[in-house]
Formats: sequence, structure tokens, C-alpha cells
Amino acid sequence: MSVALVRLGLLAALLAAWEIAARAGNPALYVPPSAALPALGALLALRSYPTLPAHFLLTLREVVAAYALAVAAGLAVGFGLGLNRTLGRAYGPILAALYAVPAVVWYPSLMLFFGLDAASKIAFGFLLGFFPITLAVLAGMRQVSAHLVTVARAFGAGPVTVFVKVMLPGMLFTLVGGLRTGLALSVIGVIVGEILGSKAGMGSLITHAYGLLRTADYVALVVVTLALIVGCDGAASLLERRAARWTA
Amino acid sequence: MAPHTPQRSERPGEAEALLDAADLIALEGVGKRYRTASGDVDAVRDVSLRVAEGEFCTIIGPSGCGKSTLLGMLGGLVAPDTGQVLIAGRPVAGPDPRRAATVFQDPGLFPWRSALENIAFGLEIQGVAAARRRAAAHELLGPLGLRAFADKYPRELSGGMRQRVAIGRALAIDAPIILMDEPFGALDEQTRTLMGEWLLDIWRRTGRTVIFVTHSLHEALALSTRVVVMTARPGRIKSVVELPMPYPRAMESPELVTLRAKLWSEIRDESLRAMQP
Repeated sequence: MSVALVRLGLLAALLAAWEIAARAGNPALYVPPSAALPALGALLALRSYPTLPAHFLLTLREVVAAYALAVAAGLAVGFGLGLNRTLGRAYGPILAALYAVPAVVWYPSLMLFFGLDAASKIAFGFLLGFFPITLAVLAGMRQVSAHLVTVARAFGAGPVTVFVKVMLPGMLFTLVGGLRTGLALSVIGVIVGEILGSKAGMGSLITHAYGLLRTADYVALVVVTLALIVGCDGAASLLERRAARWTA
Repeated sequence: MAPHTPQRSERPGEAEALLDAADLIALEGVGKRYRTASGDVDAVRDVSLRVAEGEFCTIIGPSGCGKSTLLGMLGGLVAPDTGQVLIAGRPVAGPDPRRAATVFQDPGLFPWRSALENIAFGLEIQGVAAARRRAAAHELLGPLGLRAFADKYPRELSGGMRQRVAIGRALAIDAPIILMDEPFGALDEQTRTLMGEWLLDIWRRTGRTVIFVTHSLHEALALSTRVVVMTARPGRIKSVVELPMPYPRAMESPELVTLRAKLWSEIRDESLRAMQP
């Protein structure tokens, strides 16, 4: 309750500061909330960009595809490296080093490989989401207590049972944290990909509005995109909280 | 066979088959050598020991004398390099919860499982249906003194309670042998004494065979039908003492005081040897 109040107060203060700052400067560049809100209304009423739903859905589909690929590959590579000592020692450090490279440097080549359509955005979202998931699996597996594994073995658990009943629950919290980070980064990858070069999707609309200096529309588009991101993260955090209650 | 006769729980078939075997447990010339960075270490060398059904056999000795290794061999978690380990006449090839259940010094409870779910863990591994294993675990709560704590998680339990849950987990699978590796080693003195009394009661009621590793002479004298003293590394059997006295034992009786002095002098010698470089 009080947390909600504090948040509301912070939001109001930010909006007020924004309004004052924008009016003091050039309102065409620093769009004040009083101009952004009507633009948001026009956007949602499909007056400024009538094709908004199609773009929104395309971005959402790209995110879903990128994230699904990142989860599948991240879990497969993570568990592959984690369960095989030699592979883990050989490739684990390389993965961590690659993660440190700003991923955006790969994006031009992704556009060359996959073109300007959805495929390159999915590829970029995948690339960003893949690393945190893989690394979370590896970290989670190291976290599982060797003693608990011994206990399970003493009670007759075979490798599969140990994996399901000890490894997975033991690493769940870290794993879910990685999945959540992966989702956030997949969303970022897709949208950044769209902004850097595309013909459709929320990112392309943002670039369009920005290019024509329709700054109020631009701000409205950013708000809608933020809602998409916050919605995704909210779903992920619900999952994370469930996992926390279960394991902590 | 030990001179007292604890009541055996009703377990037809298997129990009778085991009763036929002269000795439930037989270690025959077992040895174990570990490879470490600074060379090989002989943890256990040429240990032979027979334990009859229903015994409470305590293994005591200086740190690093291979007590835990011996227990690991009985539990199937450690393979001996020499000799063999037999339970009911059959060699131990790996962990077999139908024959032996282990209680570790670190209770090793699964933090994401409630006390009841932890107790039922072994039954779950054996594929016992959920309703049946819950009922079985529930039945143990009373004797474990955990009736009000079934749905608590390990982090909500005291050290003594956690270890009782771990003991419950071992009792639940109905293995004829319970292996206990310093189960009360991490508890404070008072809790330790009470847990010993409690364990004695459980053992006498269920008639399991207990192999108990400890550092505590008091525990050994209060609980065991037999005490096995191990030497410093490489661990060998130094002496075996039978304790035919009835329970509960008067620890100040001249008999036990004399025994305590004798055992202490043996353990002292070995502990001193173990401390030498």
C-alpha cells in the first residue's frame, strides 16, 4: 500500500519535472506530458498510426519467437555444458567472454544474413536472450549442494531422479532469474533491431515518427512499446516469485 | 547376537530371510586408499567386522581414521579397494535403500520440501504412491516429536529437529540397517544427550540394526551394545568392547566408569598418534 503510494508520488514528481523542463526548452523537441497524452490518445484510437495493431503484433510475435529459441538453446547448451565436465571447462569461459562483448556489434552481420524482415530481429533477440539463460543454467548447476546429491543417491536415486528431484529444484531460483533476464534482453534485442533497420514493427514506427520529428507521436509510441516490455517482465516476475516461494 | 532382544517391527518375508543370516553385516578385510594431490592416503586398511541383527554397534576413533569411509562402504556410496562388504550374505554393489538407510552429520534436508515431504523422500524415490507415503511419514511424526511441524520447512526447524527429520527419512524406508555418521555431532551438549535417549527408544522399539559413528565416548557408552575402537590412519580395528548392560544405563556405575577409562586411554593413544606429523 505505502509502496504503491511512494511509486505514485515518484511518478507524479517525474511528470511534473518533465512538464516544467519541456516548457522551459523547445516543446517540439522536449515533448511535455500535456502534449504527449493527447498524442497517446490519438495513437490508441488508431488516428495517428492506423496500422498500430499489426505492428504491435509483429513485434510481439518476434519477441515470442526470439525468446522461445533463446530458452530452447540456452537450456540445451547450459545443461550440455553443465552435465559434461570437459565440455563445460572448454566452453564455459568462452561463453562468459562472449557475453561481455556488446552484442549490437553483431547486428549488421545479422541483417546481412537474415535481411531486413522479421528474421534478423528474431536472430538478434535470440542472441541477447541466449547468454543470460545459458550462464544461469551453468551457475545454477554449480550452486546445487553436492551433499544433497549424495543424500539422494544414498536413498537410491539414479542420475535422472537426482536431476529432477535435486538439481532442478536446487537451481530453480537462479534458473528462473536467468529466464527473466533472458526475456528482458530478447525484447530489447527485437526492438533495437527494429529501430536500427526494419520495415515493420514498433521499432520501425518509432524510427518513422522520430525521423519526421513527430516527437509527440514518437513519445506515445515509446510508451506503448514500454507497456509491451513491462507486460513481458511482469509475467516473468510472477513466475520468479512463485519459484522463490517454492525454493527459498 | 547381542544379549538383549529388542522388539522387531512386523515385516514378514524380508525380516525372516534376514534373521536366517548369521550376521547381518560382514566386512571382510576391506581397505580403501584415496588419491590426493600430496600422494595416496590409506583411509582404511584390512578391517574385518561382523554385526548381528538388532545390534547397536558404535564405531569410535580419532579424526580421519576412516570411520565415515567404513560407513560409506556399508551404504554403497564408497567402493572398497580390497576385501568385500556383505549385507545379509550378499555383496554391496551400490546404494540400496532396501538394505540400509543413512543419516549424515549434516542432515542434508531438501530446503524446498516440508518436514513431511523430506521424511517421505526415500519412499518417493521407491515409487510409493503419494497417499501411502504421506500416511507412512505422518505415522513417524509422533515418535519423532514433530507432530506440530509436519508442514514446516527445514529453515524453520531447530538443529535437533532437522536431524530428527533426517532420522525419520531413514526410518521411513524400513531398511533393516540404519547407518549414522556422527548424527548429533553438530548439536549442543544438552540436545545431544536428549537426542541420544530418544534414538535409544526408537531403536529399541523398531529393532533396527544401527551402525553409529561418533566422537563422543558418552554417546558410545550410553547407546551401544558394542563399541569398535579404530586406530589412527590407516584405520584399523584396535579393539572391540561388548556392552551387555541394560538400558537406560547408569553412567556413574563402577562398571561403566571403568570401561570409560579403558576406552578413553585407547582413544587417547590413537588421537595422539593421529596428531603426530
